[in-house]
Amino acid sequence: MLSMYFNIHGGSQQQEAVAAESEPEPLSIFRTQENDPACQSEKHFGQYYTLPSAHVRTVFPHGLPMRYKQQVKTFNEACMMVRPPALEVISSLKKTDNSKPAVRYLFYGLKGSGKTMTLCHTIHFCYTQGWLVLHVPDAHLWVKNCKELLPSSFNSSRYDQPLQATEWLRNFRITNEPFLSKIKTKQRYVWTKRESTEEGSTLGELVDQGITRVKTSSDVVGAVMKELRLQSGQPESDFRLAVAVDGVNALWGRSTIRKMNNTAVDPEELTLVYNLRKLMKNDWTGGAIITTLAQTGAVYTSKYSYLPKELLGEKGFDSMDPFIPVSVPNYSEKEFESCYLYYMDRHWLQYPHSRTEDGKKELIFLSNRNPSMLERICGFH
Amino acid sequence: MAAHTSRAFLSLGRINVPGLGLHKSVSRVTYSTGLSTDSSKATTGSPQKGGKKVLSKKYKREPGDPRTELMPVDQDWTAVYPVATPFIPDAIPLPVRMGCPVKGGAPPEKKGNLELIKIPNFLHLTPAAIKKHCEALKPFCTEWPSALDTDAKCDEHFPIKVETKSYVSAGPSIRNPAARIVHLSVKLSSLNLNDQARKKMLKLVGDRYCKDTDILTITADRCPLKQQNYDYAMYLLTVLYHESWKIEAWEAEKTVADMEEYSWEGSLSQENILDVLVRMKEAGEGEGEEVREQLLGRREVQEYKDSVTRLKNEGENESTMLQYKEAVKKVLKL
Repeated sequence: MLSMYFNIHGGSQQQEAVAAESEPEPLSIFRTQENDPACQSEKHFGQYYTLPSAHVRTVFPHGLPMRYKQQVKTFNEACMMVRPPALEVISSLKKTDNSKPAVRYLFYGLKGSGKTMTLCHTIHFCYTQGWLVLHVPDAHLWVKNCKELLPSSFNSSRYDQPLQATEWLRNFRITNEPFLSKIKTKQRYVWTKRESTEEGSTLGELVDQGITRVKTSSDVVGAVMKELRLQSGQPESDFRLAVAVDGVNALWGRSTIRKMNNTAVDPEELTLVYNLRKLMKNDWTGGAIITTLAQTGAVYTSKYSYLPKELLGEKGFDSMDPFIPVSVPNYSEKEFESCYLYYMDRHWLQYPHSRTEDGKKELIFLSNRNPSMLERICGFH
Repeated sequence: MAAHTSRAFLSLGRINVPGLGLHKSVSRVTYSTGLSTDSSKATTGSPQKGGKKVLSKKYKREPGDPRTELMPVDQDWTAVYPVATPFIPDAIPLPVRMGCPVKGGAPPEKKGNLELIKIPNFLHLTPAAIKKHCEALKPFCTEWPSALDTDAKCDEHFPIKVETKSYVSAGPSIRNPAARIVHLSVKLSSLNLNDQARKKMLKLVGDRYCKDTDILTITADRCPLKQQNYDYAMYLLTVLYHESWKIEAWEAEKTVADMEEYSWEGSLSQENILDVLVRMKEAGEGEGEEVREQLLGRREVQEYKDSVTRLKNEGENESTMLQYKEAVKKVLKL
């Protein structure tokens, strides 16, 4: 492996020989030139593929993990590893039948094992295939730290969160520009005495209404979700809907938001959560629901829990049932090698000690091949 | 015999012997071998030197070999130590050492070692001695029933086991309050309980039941006498048995949260899966009960039911999750 590294810069005969035997990637053994998720297969396990920066700006205005965003900025490229859980779900997505009810996938695993990144990989696939992506980057943000809580105008027992809703609508608009003018609403929505959205107006108008009139944004989110749910899978609509939620256990957990009389708000009483829960049910066709569990931002959960039933709870499990749980483990040996080589290539591992075998063993021991731990530790090595 | 006793006294270090000069000679003898030293002669000699004609020159017999040298290997040990006696170094042919070792050396030897005398010893209870005790007790015993030769047969005929402890000690009172405690253990499988009665019994009994061994243990210690506690424990067992068979009116209000185990029939999971299957292509075959029955009879649905039940009852780990995943994939035909 080390000799391989030096040869890249040396450009000797050996390099071409190695390159010829393993895939057409003249650069290195840990990268692949196959940047289209649809064409990736088991051959590319453990290899990094590059996301085009245009895609990163459109598809992931709010979806990537914070540390990964910093890494993208530092390395000036967005490289993601091809891993088995993502490819498993992608191959199932390729075979989805438009007439059948939406299948639910759930990524679960230890903290920092790569669930959000796997979700982003799957979303990238959906985007490249032309699906409409409804991405909720972190459902936990909707059940905690709410600065403004308004009683809902639509249903007096529920509460609105205008700030979160507007932000989400903005990002939704960035991701799904092309669809906004194509999809038409099937129903008339009345916001106030003077404002209403007529039947047959485009989705773009609906979204703009929500962004400009902040007070009604939560209801607009609900309307958007309803429209998409009703229209996907119908013979006349030509789009497929991918619903991606990170931290889906927030929908059935507890919230830290309190009402004026200091009692806790049940997540069900929040408009955003209520509408999202309706989307989570598999009573619509023509798409898929891909979700991730997250303990990291969760409230009132133990730090060490990561299994689906623990985090979803009884109610959540029964609502999601039947779903396909996909385990996202720590790096395997091959994946660790690949990650190590990538960091070396990017000159992220500064100290000469980390280039030795001992240094590598130290990294394995300290991080236990956990992706996020490895990333943090390599910053100091 | 006299020599033996004197040596015993010597090793004890406590002397009640009148006579002059012997105190000094005794203290010297405790830390040295049994051979008489010159100094003793010197002390006995000095009064002589003084001119007094002391007729009572105590004849000091040479202490002979310790008894351990003379013991044959196949002797009857029960004769050497018939009762509980303190440690006698010259009567025990073992090179025992006890105490804090000297620096760079070994612990002190057994000769004159107070530590060995202070501790209790069980040299009077060797296997040979116990055998003799058993032989002596045999005329007072009856034979073990020949039909009960295995543990399983004992459990079958005598399912209730009563455990009590009795205490013997020398002191101002022979009573010990801890002797009143009675433990009564019985296997629930040997009681005649149907499903409902068993669940009610487990709820009544709580912590006293061990799931791994299926044994219910009732401990009674609230009465002052053992016999009273035994009667109380038997009474408790009888009452528990009869109460668990009774069905009260309010037991009909048992909710899902009260259930001990997860049962798939009638649960949300069943509703969901039937719903999904109906909405998939299976919906074309008709409506209502027959479709549901037919769907329930399918193999994939049965597998799914098993996996969900296992997941809910056993808790989740990798294997249950994998089984659930495979079952869902099969049911949804992925």
